[in-house]
Amino acid sequence: MAMASTKKNRAVKKVSFYIGLIALLAVSLFPFFIMLMTSFKTSREAVSTTPTFFPEKWTFQHYIDIFNPDIFPYLAYFKNSLFVSLTASILSVAIGIFGAYALSKLKFKGRVTINASFYTVYMFSGILLVVPLFKIISGLGLYDTKTSLIITMIVQTLPTAIFMLKSYFDTIPDDLEEAAMIDGLNRIQIIFYIIIPLSISGIISVFVYSFMIAWNDYLFASIFLSDSANFTLPIGLNSLFSTPDYVWGRMMAASLVTALPVVIMYAISEHFIKGNLTEGGVKG
Amino acid sequence: MKTKLKQKSDAKLALALLFPSFALLLLLVAYPMISNIQISFFDQPINPRLSAKFVGLKNFIDILTDAEFFKSLGITLLYTVLTVAGSTIFGLAVAIFFNRPFKFRKTARSIIILSYVTPSISLIFAWKYMFNNGYGVINYLGGDVLHLFKEAPLWFDNPVSSFLLVVLFAIWRYFPYAFISFLAILQTIDNTLYEAAEIDGASAWEKFKIVTLPAIMPVLLTVITLRAIWMFYMFTDVYLLTNKVDILGIYLYKTAFAFNDLGKASSISVILFIILFIVIMLSRKRVNLNGNG
Repeated sequence: MAMASTKKNRAVKKVSFYIGLIALLAVSLFPFFIMLMTSFKTSREAVSTTPTFFPEKWTFQHYIDIFNPDIFPYLAYFKNSLFVSLTASILSVAIGIFGAYALSKLKFKGRVTINASFYTVYMFSGILLVVPLFKIISGLGLYDTKTSLIITMIVQTLPTAIFMLKSYFDTIPDDLEEAAMIDGLNRIQIIFYIIIPLSISGIISVFVYSFMIAWNDYLFASIFLSDSANFTLPIGLNSLFSTPDYVWGRMMAASLVTALPVVIMYAISEHFIKGNLTEGGVKG
Repeated sequence: MKTKLKQKSDAKLALALLFPSFALLLLLVAYPMISNIQISFFDQPINPRLSAKFVGLKNFIDILTDAEFFKSLGITLLYTVLTVAGSTIFGLAVAIFFNRPFKFRKTARSIIILSYVTPSISLIFAWKYMFNNGYGVINYLGGDVLHLFKEAPLWFDNPVSSFLLVVLFAIWRYFPYAFISFLAILQTIDNTLYEAAEIDGASAWEKFKIVTLPAIMPVLLTVITLRAIWMFYMFTDVYLLTNKVDILGIYLYKTAFAFNDLGKASSISVILFIILFIVIMLSRKRVNLNGNG
């Protein structure tokens, strides 16, 4: 009898756990669900005062429209975003690897101070620097260029890359390097033949996070860009939002496609690479 | 002798390896910050052809006597406290909830993190649509279906509901960060500690206080500090979601690019930097800021 009741108890516990889990996932997913369903609704149904969860009539027109440059400059924005984000994150990772290696493995005077100053910069926010960066960018004649965005994006992506890479390199035991040195490798060779191959999954994670930061940027794009031909996705989509003829279904389709690259990259770094860095400090 | 020589060559190599990062950050962060201080003493219009005029401490005096600034500071502090507390407590609760084996755990974890990795602009469109006054699903569910409110709130049209909205948005968007940080450290806690506490007759709350809390303390402090700093300087999420909540980031942005007063905006940056600096100095002893975790 007692056993039956503990068994029952356990079943109740299990059921309530899964109910809790489903409720939790619903909270996380609800806006995504709305986005997805709205992107398949007709423009009329999307503004109905009695909203529907599932489209009464499914349409793929919005997805066709966002890739039609005559209707919607989505592809141009997408290309700009891709160019800026890829360049900024590749540069940050490439430069960051060497800086992070020095901070993690080399012993030199002032290491603690430099480390602390990098960390301070990591916590820094772009908003504090908008005025002088605006002056510098205008002074260099880079106003309204994609280059301006790449340069300023590094303010955010490089400190993050260094910080994350350093905590990754810290986990590589020193013995490995000492062994390699005995075999006659110098420090540079060690970086290329030992450190990079050993931390390749970490490096990919860092790249993904740098890319995410750059892809997400609205602030710098809104300050440095004025010609819509240069617009990245966040500023481009937001500028369309303010026009009277935006269509909800189209905006939702655009939102989903905008999220896709980072979500896919994230999923890859999460599932196919072991020992990902999500547990480390990530900016955002 | 030999080690000394090695250290010397290490220092040279370190210098070379750090040079690109250091130079870039010097140029893009340190120099602009110093330049901020300089600009803050000038009346500087946005048009580079108009010349700047030295005005001494006028910008600082203007700001420190501007009621708008203190109102904005108050809103920002409240926003920071609510979003940090909300996202940390919720993230911790979800992490404790997840800290057991169950089916689809990895998939569920990835779904939870989704709101954290998705770009702001996509999420903000979804929220704007959901909370739309006329055809939003939230007012429909809350009013017509559940009857939670008689009159549907005009979410984006007044400062209080807009404030509520940006706080909710931030908690929803950023709790996964706390969640992943806590989940990782919770998994390192030895289960026998809980069993021992249970034998001693500890309640769930006592177990949390005696076993969990001390174990997660370093992570908790780091999560709170970093999140607080990032929320204090928030701009994008709030700016894109509503124009009714002027947090400091928006106050600064508007001063520079809407009111065309770079000097005043720079002095706001300087004041905000001083606040950041004090917080870092105060938290330094307690929080591991060496980038080791």
